[in-house]
Amino acid sequence: MSSNFVINARNLTLSYGDKEIIRDASFSVKKGEFVFITGPSGSGKSTLLKSLYGQIEPTEGSLIVGGLEMGGISNGKLQELRTHLGIIFQDYKLINEWTVKKNVVLPLMIAGYSIDVQETQAERLLKHVRLSEHKERYPLELSGGEQQRVGVARALAKNPFLILADEPTGNLDEYSSNVIWDLMENACEQLKTTVLVVTHKIPSIFSNPYRHFIIESKGVYEVR
Amino acid sequence: MKFVKYHLTFILPMMAILLGIEFFLVFDRATDSYRTQLQEGYSMFVVAKKPLELKDFKRLNSHISQSEEVDKEALAIQISKGVNQTNSKEILKALPYFYNVKLDSYMSSSELRSIKEDLEESDTIRRVETFGSSYTDSYKLFNFIQFTLKVFLGFMGLISFFLIIKQMEIWKYLHRERMQVMEIFGASLMLRSGVLFKTAVIDAIIATFVTSGVFLALKYYWAQESRIDILIQKQNLLFQSTDFLILLGISLFIVIISVYFVVFSNKD
Repeated sequence: MSSNFVINARNLTLSYGDKEIIRDASFSVKKGEFVFITGPSGSGKSTLLKSLYGQIEPTEGSLIVGGLEMGGISNGKLQELRTHLGIIFQDYKLINEWTVKKNVVLPLMIAGYSIDVQETQAERLLKHVRLSEHKERYPLELSGGEQQRVGVARALAKNPFLILADEPTGNLDEYSSNVIWDLMENACEQLKTTVLVVTHKIPSIFSNPYRHFIIESKGVYEVR
Repeated sequence: MKFVKYHLTFILPMMAILLGIEFFLVFDRATDSYRTQLQEGYSMFVVAKKPLELKDFKRLNSHISQSEEVDKEALAIQISKGVNQTNSKEILKALPYFYNVKLDSYMSSSELRSIKEDLEESDTIRRVETFGSSYTDSYKLFNFIQFTLKVFLGFMGLISFFLIIKQMEIWKYLHRERMQVMEIFGASLMLRSGVLFKTAVIDAIIATFVTSGVFLALKYYWAQESRIDILIQKQNLLFQSTDFLILLGISLFIVIISVYFVVFSNKD
């Protein structure tokens, strides 16, 4: 990744079939920035986020993530890119048949790290999200807030250069939401990880500097 | 119950394929053994004007492996009963030479005809009797049964294979969320399908052991108690140690093919 930009979109258009969701959007995100993308329901926030981890390919224009052009990206390169991303979902997307510990080390398993490294990282991450005592439990035995903390720990497991979060606190109460925002702010501040969050509303407790894009009428505009 | 059903729906069709393959192996060995028996017990009858040696026969047809002259004097004695000794000698002199000729392998009717033609081309040979009809009739019946068995087993194998594919698709559906999450975090197709492979390999090994067990029981218990002579005599044909490896190899091959089929046919 030679460029200073972690994300660079130029005249980006995203569509589902014939239906355009995002049209002619241009924006860029630098290393270590914390970015919020907001917009009304159905405006295309999640679609934009999906395009950043290669779930949807650009219809037109250019989208570069971590130095890789996402249009026509090969399976191999996409898999490689995804191993360097941390992704957090509103519905957590944890594997319910696996223990908390195993869920957390999933990115390390995929990258082929040894069991010893996985164990050490799991201990460290679970301590960081204050879930050490739950490591042998299963996701469905935890509360929503605890499950999302597992999701954050999983996203941080491989020290990603970019964390993408889709409504990470959408299903959580205020206390749990604040814990999640705190964890993400810390990742950005201490690890210099770029964080891009798609959300309805920017949390009031947020104290660090951040950038804010809004999606409106298929366009992406910077408002802060 | 759910767990048992989850595995049985894979193990049973796999067992159907393996049982079919093992039946085929057993029947194939039985046919081979019968063919060897036929070949060993078979000989052509040749009438010649002059004495012939094996090399003379081999020159006429390379499939001839043995020749044995029939004792002419014993034959002359039978014919010349009540005839004086001088005439008896004349009879012996006038008699041609008789040979039983054996072949190096099992021959079809047309091959037997061709050997007969080769021998009859020689001026020395007067007559050749192949006894082809009685020789091939039973073997043809065996071959026919083997063919129908092959068709039936092929059909059964195909249906079982589709059942296995169907079951894998169900497994894929059951594990779709796990596979999707792994995909999002960059797992390769092989890694994502690991859960299908693992389950299928374990079930394939179970199916191989159970199938082998069924045939071992047939070999050591049922064959003995059946009091069917041919089964008791040919007991070793029922299940051989190499069969286990063949069945295991085939079951693992089916697992690989079906997982690839399911995973690659509908990537989503």
